[in-house]
Amino acid sequence: MTVTTMWEVLADPDPIFTIAEDLFATMIDGEPGHLIRWYGERPAILHPTYTWVDVLGGDQDARVLISMGHDTGDDLARVLFDLEDTDEVPGVDFDDAVGELVNVVGGNVKSLVTHPGALTMPTVSGGMPDMSGLEPIVDACVTWKGSLVCVSLWVFEEKSTTTP
Amino acid sequence: MKVVVADDSRVMRQIVIRTLRQAGYDWWEIEEAENGADALTKIQAGQPDFVLSDWNMPEMTGIELLRNLRGAGDETPFAFVTSEGSDQMREMAEQAGALFLIAKPFTADTFRDTIDPLLA
Repeated sequence: MTVTTMWEVLADPDPIFTIAEDLFATMIDGEPGHLIRWYGERPAILHPTYTWVDVLGGDQDARVLISMGHDTGDDLARVLFDLEDTDEVPGVDFDDAVGELVNVVGGNVKSLVTHPGALTMPTVSGGMPDMSGLEPIVDACVTWKGSLVCVSLWVFEEKSTTTP
Repeated sequence: MKVVVADDSRVMRQIVIRTLRQAGYDWWEIEEAENGADALTKIQAGQPDFVLSDWNMPEMTGIELLRNLRGAGDETPFAFVTSEGSDQMREMAEQAGALFLIAKPFTADTFRDTIDPLLA
């Protein structure tokens, strides 16, 4: 089934790239230029971490999903918590930091469409969420310090009966 | 100046406070709140001069917190720092009585440019 959707304005990866670049330039690196857009075939992400938010209750439900290696998530959490490179990142802080990334990306993505609904709280998992009943709109990857970080937007084929 | 920073994310509270310091507000006495309900309790008890709140939080959202305060006659200056900066959200925030809405991601300049005129 092909879903015609208001989210198709985001089918071009440029807005996703721009949101990611702004996020990294302002809150992670403190300057632009450390995020590189990735085109072409992707290497597998080892020990992946997935974090996602759903946008529910609007004209059409959607999901923003970020995937990255667990080590990359650790590095990002250290930067966000202002820790040393060698500091351990407790699991609760890892989830908080990585989840906040998708919260910011999801909020910015949501702002680009009208009547989008409300964001759920972020979920973080070592396993890919159940994506049955969702169709991809855009899937964009960047590298940060040589590590792949992928951001994708999906729409639900059917509207949820619940709101966040 | 007493300020309450409300966000369910500990890392985001740290980032907001760190960025406020970088923006020059290192003289602010900041109390953290983990969600809207926690913030409401702390605002009622501590009577801060200013509240900076996330929007999307468990227990009580930021907009519910603001409406709750205004409904109770509490006019504490209030603003949002949230990941959603659409026109619709800004309008809703303004109608509820918020001074401004800063969208994440932000910089120290964003805070300074937005807050300084209000303090002047």
